[in-house]
Parts: sequence; structure tokens; C-alpha cells
Amino acid sequence: MAAPFRPCDHCPKPAVVHNTAIVNGQMTEVHLCEEHAQAAGIQMPGQAPIHQLLGQLAQVGAARPRGPSCPECGHSFHDFKTSGLLGCAACYEAFASTVAPVIERAHGGATEHVGSAPTRADDARQRAALLQKLLRELEQAISAEQYEHAADLRDKIKDLRPTAAAGDKDGAP
Amino acid sequence: MSNLPGSDLLNGDRDVVMSCRVRLARNVAGFPFVGRATHPQRREVLETVRAAAGSDEASVGLVGGRVGADAAERLAWIDLTSLPKRDRQLLWERHLVSKQFAEGDSPRAVAVSPDERFSLMVNEEDHVRIQVLRSGNALRDAFDAAMRVDAALGGRLDFAFHQRWGYLTACPTNVGCGIRIGVMVHLRALRVTNEIEKVKRAAKELHLAVRGFHGEGSDATGDWFQISNQRTLGVTEAGLLEEFAGRIVPAVVAYEREARRVLMERQRTLLEDRVFRGISLLRSARLLGLDEAMKQLSSVRLGACVGLLPGVSVDTLTRLTIQLQSAHLRAADPAIETEEDEKAARARTARTALGEWP
Repeated sequence: MAAPFRPCDHCPKPAVVHNTAIVNGQMTEVHLCEEHAQAAGIQMPGQAPIHQLLGQLAQVGAARPRGPSCPECGHSFHDFKTSGLLGCAACYEAFASTVAPVIERAHGGATEHVGSAPTRADDARQRAALLQKLLRELEQAISAEQYEHAADLRDKIKDLRPTAAAGDKDGAP
Repeated sequence: MSNLPGSDLLNGDRDVVMSCRVRLARNVAGFPFVGRATHPQRREVLETVRAAAGSDEASVGLVGGRVGADAAERLAWIDLTSLPKRDRQLLWERHLVSKQFAEGDSPRAVAVSPDERFSLMVNEEDHVRIQVLRSGNALRDAFDAAMRVDAALGGRLDFAFHQRWGYLTACPTNVGCGIRIGVMVHLRALRVTNEIEKVKRAAKELHLAVRGFHGEGSDATGDWFQISNQRTLGVTEAGLLEEFAGRIVPAVVAYEREARRVLMERQRTLLEDRVFRGISLLRSARLLGLDEAMKQLSSVRLGACVGLLPGVSVDTLTRLTIQLQSAHLRAADPAIETEEDEKAARARTARTALGEWP
């Protein structure tokens, strides 16, 4: 039985490759004719040695949901599993249930840090709390259409962000 | 004549410990880790860290005792993205950067002190990698210097830190203190007496990593091993230092020395054969591959340490382990083009350093 006709995403020719991928939580369908499939680096059956075909099957499998993602940086659980690396500080919370046992195993069962803390840790914590408060106020100001107040808040938030906060970085120790 | 090494060689355990290293991994809060960061973000991290570290040994905290920058030497900030391949390899051969860092293609730089005992990698696996190197066993000195740099940088940068996990790193195996304490040891006698596996097993039980001459992923070229801690969580920095400097290193050193003593007493002919073949080859060869050079250097170094080769300096041999590496030869002699040119240059360098024969 012939498959229903479906044109290629890039030209009117019939699509011979159909792929479904989930990117950033959105399902995306890809339909390509032979020519555009080749241009995209996908080989046609009969052209590729068997191990490459198997590799493609594995990739199709990998295009399924990639597990939960970090809300801060978008790093997926799949990314962590394949690279062994996390994407940002917030990943430690986003993947806490899986990362915690990994950490404990790697460190002989240790469950918490007992070493030194950074010089500016307390300072940084206070700033993070203030930042959260200002962000909440900003949201309220915008919904109340108090734009002047919102602009003030934005300036304060900008000053608190870590990149801008490094303003004293040129000072001698 | 005594077969024991001279007292200057025992100073810093240089008969067994070639060098030691303390490394700290840190990330700047507010940025994704390097693997996740875009190139503009990596550039921003680079600029932020560079500005915080400054351009001399005082600004980076290395010479905390001295006042003012006058007494401090300037750091060389080297931008890896614009550096030719050979020079990147040169940095790696000198143990100033990792292989991954030397080969990458994204915005990254390293600051190096003039004596090359300090390097600061920006945008390796983590935003900041502080590394302090010392020749011989001088772990406490290296540790103190690394802590000073950490305090200086930590005072000007917000390092990513978690109440429970400590310093946050891209790889969860580095969290906590983010510290690696390591020594490069020459365990030739333990290899000859087939006891090296025992050392590796004992190391594993103590949660230590045993790696080759160039660290992660490298084989133990010519019997040089890097031994370092793996646990970084649930331990204090000072506790790790004590365990390493007070217990582990002395045990490894004593074990290798004992194997050397046993070889001298019970298998002297075998030992002499390997040592004298080695020195003859290094003094006479016209073409020398890297693997062969490292293998023979290892035997010769053992011979020099047990007193079989009076007149051959252990420091010269230690220097040769670096000088005979590919990029070093090519930097010293730009005329090298082919593999054979390189082998000839390696043989020439060895002969010159050790006394040519015939």
C-alpha cells in the first residue's frame, strides 16, 4: 500500500524521509525528498552500510523526549547522561534526584561539603535574595503599569547581576 | 662508595617525586558552565576572570606577603584561540594546560607566571582552573599558593557555590572543594619488580587516581605516574593535604626506594644491564622515537638515583623528559619538517645533554 503523498519541506517533490523530533518540548516533523535528505546528510537505504543504518535507527530513538531539562540553561537529562557534565549551577537542583546519588557514589558516600566557602558566599547569598525580591517587585510594577518605578527597579536589578557586580574587580586585594 | 642518592636528591624526595601539583576548579556564578555557554558568554567569562585576576603575581594573590606590584612578576596572558598549534602543544607538554584545553577551538586563555609554577586556565571544563606546580615534593608550598590565589580571586568574583555540594563544577565528580592534589612519581623499580599493580590497587582502595605522564587518558609513559585524589566532597582541603603529604606520598616514596634497594642487592646485574644499555643508547643513537627515549630515560634515571651513574645529573634527566617532547624539539629547531628530522633532533638533544659517544 502506497504511503499518502507528502511533499518535501523544501520543494514540491515527494518526501521519502519522515522524521519526528521533539525540540525544546515542541514536536517537530521533518519530511524530505531524496535530494534534500542527502543534502542534510541522511543517506538512503541501499546506499549506506548496515552499521550506519543501525546508527541512524539509534538516532531516531534518541530524537524521542530527552528527559527533563534545566529551566535555567536548557541542558537536558540526556545531555548530562551522554557527556557526564552539567550545564549550569541550577542543573544541580533541576536533576537533584539523579545527580545526588551520582555525587555520593563518586565521593565514597559523602553527602555534603565540609571544606571552605568562597570569600563572597554570604555576600552573594544576600544579593541573590535581594535580586529575587526586586524581580517580584518589577513584575508587580509592570502589571500595575507603574513604568517609571519599573525602570528604576530594572536599573537596580542590572547592578545586582553578577556580570555587572564585578565592577570592583580591578581593585587590588 | 655509597650507592645511596646524594642528600640534595632526597631533599624534596626528588629521587622519586618529579613534581607536584595543586589544582582548583571554580565557576563564575551567573554564567552557564563552559560546555553550555555560547561563545559570547565564554568571551564574557574570559574578560571577567581576566579583569579579576589582573596581570601580575600580586594581583592574582601569589605574592600576598609583599606590598605593591613592583616586587611581583607579570603574568603572561596567552590567548589560545590565536595561538599556533605547535605552541599550544608546547604548553601542554610543559603541563601548563590540559590536552583538551590545548586542542579546543572556543574562546579561552591561560595566564602563566614567568617561572611557570602557576597557571590559570579560563574556560577549560570549568570557567577557572587554578594550577600551582612545584618540582619535587613541595605539596604544602603548592597548596598554600593555590589557597592564596583562590582567596584573591574569590574576593573579586562570585564563585558558584551550593550549601550542600560546595563549589559547583561542570562535572559532579569535582564538587565540594574542587581540589586535586597530585604528585608525578617515577616508579621504575616497582615496574621492574612487578609490583606496580599492587600500588594501583592500593591507590584505588584509597580513592586515588593513577594516571600517566600527561594525566587523564594518557598511558604511563616510561614509568611516570600521576597520583591524585578523587574524592573532593566530605573532606576538607587541609585534611586532603595532610593525607597526601603526610601519608600517601611518603608511603609511595618508601615503597619505590625499597624496590630500588632490593634490585641493587638481589638483581644488580639485571639492573646494571638496563641502566647501561639505556645510557649507551641515549649517548649514541642517531634517530630516537619519543617512546624509546622516554623508556630509556626512565632506566637511566633509576640508575642515576641509585648511584650507578656518577656524573649523570638527575635534574638533567628530568629536564630531558620535557625537552625531548615533539613540540619542544620543533620549537628549538624550526628547520624540523619530517618525522625523521624530529627523531634526529631528539637523538642530538639527548647526546648533547648526556655526553656524546663515540
